[in-house]
Amino acid sequence: MEKVKKQTATQSQKLMVFVLTMALYGLATLFTELIPSFQVGIVEFSVEYFLFIPLTLSMLFDPMSAALGAATGELVFSEIMLGQFGGLGELEKFITVTIGVYIAGRMVANPAKRKMVGIAAMTGVVIQQLLGTIVDILKVQFAVSDFEAVAGLPESVFATEGFAFLNDVLFSGILFCLLPTLFLVPKLYGKIEPLLGMQPRSRETYLGAINIKVVLGCIVAFAVAVCSEMLAESGTSLIDWEAGWAGSSTALFAGMIVAAAAALIVLIFMRRGAAVRVNGEEQA
Amino acid sequence: MNVIEIENLTFSYPGASAPTLKKLNLTVEAGDFLAIVGNNGCGKSTLCKAMNGLIPNFITGTYSGRVLAKGLDTCGTDVGSLAARVGYVYQDFENQIVRPTVLDDASYACMNYAMKDYLERGKAALEKCGLAGREKDYIWQLSGGQTHLLALAGAVSLEPDVLILDEPIAQLDPGHADRIYEILKDLNENYGKTIIVIEHHTEYIADYCKHVVLLKEGTVAWKLPTREALCRVKDLTASDIFPPQVTRAAYELKKNGVLPMSGELPVTVSEGRKIFGGLSCHRAEDGKAACESVRSWETPPAAVEFKDVSLAYRSVKGGPNQIFDRLNLTVRKGEKIALIGSNGAGKSTLMKMMTGLLRPSQGEIEIFGEKIQSVKRDKLFRRISLVYQNPEEMFIKDTIESDIAYAMEVRNIKQWKERTGQLLEQFRLTGLKDRDGRLLSGGQMRRASLAIGIALNPEILLLDEPTANLDIATRREIIRTLEDMKDVTDTVMIATHDMQLVCEWAQRIIVLCGGKVIGDGTRNEIFGNEQIRERTGIRPPEIFSMGQELCPQAYCYTIDEFVQTFGGDFNGRVHKEAIG
Amino acid sequence: MAGFTKKLSDNLFDKFSMDFLRSQVLKNAYGNDDTVIARLDPRILIVWYLFFGLVPWFANDLIFLLFSFMIVVVTTVLARVAGLVLFLFLLGVFSQTGYLFVATLIFGGNGTAIAPLLVLTLKVATVSLASITVFSGLDPDRLSNGLMWFKCPERLSFSISYAYRMLPMLMEEFQSVLLSYRMRGNPPDSGTFLGKIRYLIYQIKVIIHAFYPLMLNTAKRSRTTVEALEIKGYRYAAVNKDVKKLKLASLKVTYDDMIFLIISFLMICISLFISSMV
Repeated sequence: MEKVKKQTATQSQKLMVFVLTMALYGLATLFTELIPSFQVGIVEFSVEYFLFIPLTLSMLFDPMSAALGAATGELVFSEIMLGQFGGLGELEKFITVTIGVYIAGRMVANPAKRKMVGIAAMTGVVIQQLLGTIVDILKVQFAVSDFEAVAGLPESVFATEGFAFLNDVLFSGILFCLLPTLFLVPKLYGKIEPLLGMQPRSRETYLGAINIKVVLGCIVAFAVAVCSEMLAESGTSLIDWEAGWAGSSTALFAGMIVAAAAALIVLIFMRRGAAVRVNGEEQA
Repeated sequence: MNVIEIENLTFSYPGASAPTLKKLNLTVEAGDFLAIVGNNGCGKSTLCKAMNGLIPNFITGTYSGRVLAKGLDTCGTDVGSLAARVGYVYQDFENQIVRPTVLDDASYACMNYAMKDYLERGKAALEKCGLAGREKDYIWQLSGGQTHLLALAGAVSLEPDVLILDEPIAQLDPGHADRIYEILKDLNENYGKTIIVIEHHTEYIADYCKHVVLLKEGTVAWKLPTREALCRVKDLTASDIFPPQVTRAAYELKKNGVLPMSGELPVTVSEGRKIFGGLSCHRAEDGKAACESVRSWETPPAAVEFKDVSLAYRSVKGGPNQIFDRLNLTVRKGEKIALIGSNGAGKSTLMKMMTGLLRPSQGEIEIFGEKIQSVKRDKLFRRISLVYQNPEEMFIKDTIESDIAYAMEVRNIKQWKERTGQLLEQFRLTGLKDRDGRLLSGGQMRRASLAIGIALNPEILLLDEPTANLDIATRREIIRTLEDMKDVTDTVMIATHDMQLVCEWAQRIIVLCGGKVIGDGTRNEIFGNEQIRERTGIRPPEIFSMGQELCPQAYCYTIDEFVQTFGGDFNGRVHKEAIG
Repeated sequence: MAGFTKKLSDNLFDKFSMDFLRSQVLKNAYGNDDTVIARLDPRILIVWYLFFGLVPWFANDLIFLLFSFMIVVVTTVLARVAGLVLFLFLLGVFSQTGYLFVATLIFGGNGTAIAPLLVLTLKVATVSLASITVFSGLDPDRLSNGLMWFKCPERLSFSISYAYRMLPMLMEEFQSVLLSYRMRGNPPDSGTFLGKIRYLIYQIKVIIHAFYPLMLNTAKRSRTTVEALEIKGYRYAAVNKDVKKLKLASLKVTYDDMIFLIISFLMICISLFISSMV
């Protein structure tokens, strides 16, 4: 009985953490989406994201709920709500954010220790950014079909992605992740937990150091992310469009147009009929 | 038949040193309309959560005893089956609503429990709660009162036999509050629901409830029929609950020997008419003259002037939403103004315009003769300060000390440390200075937000609903604090629904309705004006209405004044204790 | 640059634009529920999106891409998407391919680099507009129902509708906290260029600090919300198949949906026809 109770309690607490992280990080990403980035030469300074919010919460509460909440929040608030949804490719961001935040949250045993909080925050950012950069480079390689053939393109891609990575880690990473996390975690520790009806993180409630299982899980998840990204970007090998068009005759397309047009006319008539019927019923 | 039976219930929250509920016994009969009263922290909300099974099924802790809801033991029954028997509306009801549109939210629970006719049930619940016709609206289109009704509809949709409401009218103007209670009455009388409310507005208890339970230190002190309960003035005041003003006035008059010791105490105005009927009015004119004399002949210079100000909000659909249309208003230096009007009359908007946070779409606002746009922001906020309705939004630091100090510190004001210390002392916060504002009790939070508001010594202080959401005892404490502040502040404007505060504190009252000033004058001019009262639904304190009933010339705003006016012979013996 | 920084800081902090932002987001979320697109069946639109959101990535045929682009432009207009979203779209297209274009030129690329980049830009634009049509044009709740039909996790569809419910509240609260800073804070003088940069840094700092109160306030809220969800049977429903059926019963494919699909199909056929003629 006692055990069952404890289980439901953690279930509800996980949901609270999820809802909390989703709402806050979602709101933050909504703003970052709107703050324009500015460019100095080829280096882009942008408020990449307010990753400190999920980082902070994952260090105080259940890391997995916070990580999933953050990724969902970003997806829902800034991608779907603003119509910036990028299709299957979003899965990559979703998974890299989840991995970064989760690992950072798992690393901290005692949120009162600033050093550990700092290291964890930076680790989280670096992991997230590194995974993102790897995917990004692969992405351009697949999107532009004659990648190697375009003079200067490969170098420029490596250079800009490399710059972006360093820039993100040093600029966004320190300013928007490390410093705010260091500021917030000790301040919130012991204060925010009672509001959600939980015990602050301690030796007993800490999930334990990162083990092989966590690492393996992350690798598998990342593999899924890469696959999804490649699937989204590189359909050329799956569906051979060029070949299909070359071999097809103009007559086939003409036939398809006629068929579609006929279907359209039939449908419009049927719709009229249905509308008349509905009206008739209403009048009767 | 009993719908709720509680035996020996003891519960403590995890980590708490003492149990919140101690060996509590209570039965509630079917069809009752029960009020639960008690001071802060006596376990009212905890008790209610035990009745609907959130404790112990969802909120864990040490639990012993037995709670039967409609014959079902809550321990071991899932929350879902209990929700179909006991419905619950939270005090922060806004967070209880989880769906974007009205009908959706009302029928959400039914859908989740796989009832095929969930939409019909939702519609029926909306009908019962007076929200018919709003089905397709989005939540944010509803007013505060309507949002509360929707939270109620969400609970009603499952057709529970018992409905529990935690402080249903704390944030509402009297018009909306009446509406909520009328609907509860309808549910109670015509649909046979048992209603349980946590309430400290004893006037509403007197008008609507059948029984009252007094909770004290986690256990039931007594459960009595309403009349009897409200006449136990001593018990109630000991628990910081204040019986209706007529009751207290009669109690005082009894003590003074004006009314016979053996007689009954009235709990409503109509009862009061019978009991006070024999008293004669002694100093009606006196009282009126005393109030009027505040107005001096010299006109002080204008502090804030609105000149033909219009303001429209962008709305999501359709044209803009006009809040003010050619508003003209002058606030003079040194005035103590109360700004009243129903929810949504534009009180908060007016205040935001005065601080330059909202710009009018037309017209000019001048502060001390300067156009508000041309005043530098820093200078502006030294002269004018706004304290929000929700004090939690005032706390931006992690301790109230640094919150109070913040504005002075960043401006490098000399001796900011000393002044912070003084302010903490003045608002009795010194012992709490290292606590986070959000984790304080309601009254402490208010005091802290007031201290933050006057930290820069502003010439104009604006307070938005300083007594909202507080129990009566804390409210009185804040009113006292505001009285004390009168000497240190110059021009003050308070937006409020709290007519007791208005009567005791304000020198000038401005009534807003539909974006227009429809009344502007002293309390006698405003409350004596039938038309204004009817048009805006504002309601003077009960004791004022009582006085008027007895003698149309009587203008008594406090129990003191009433006792003096109608117990005139015993003037000298009126107790000096705070009884207002 | 100075003017730009000024604009940037105004954007960040000015009440007017905060209000503007809020109204735009709300307009996008709630203001266009009576358009042609909003009335379509969400499942049909998702299928439609699967085509226009994916296929342009695979195709390199210019005529096909141009036609697809035109179709999604028309649907975007029909969906009456808020101006801000369109602005973001333009910004997004530029940042995805525009910067690459510049970088290629710097690293010694020539005219040959432009053609593939033009195709790439069309791809990005088409895919983005398709998603704008579906995700901005559709009522959030219908969208989450549609996603549920395609067996998306329950939590995602719940999150979507909950986010739409919470957004106005969260924004209001965030705004109030920022206003507190504005009233009590003492921002650095933004007269000089250096001052402007300092001002910008100050404002970013304020936004970060604002999350401290916001986190605590939201934590208070989410506790009630989760308790209320429990009472309302959220967890019970998440595992119950009947509930899902009940939720999805409101979805219905009409003639309008079919006509919408057929018109899109017709346009695609025409583009293929022309492309094969060339």
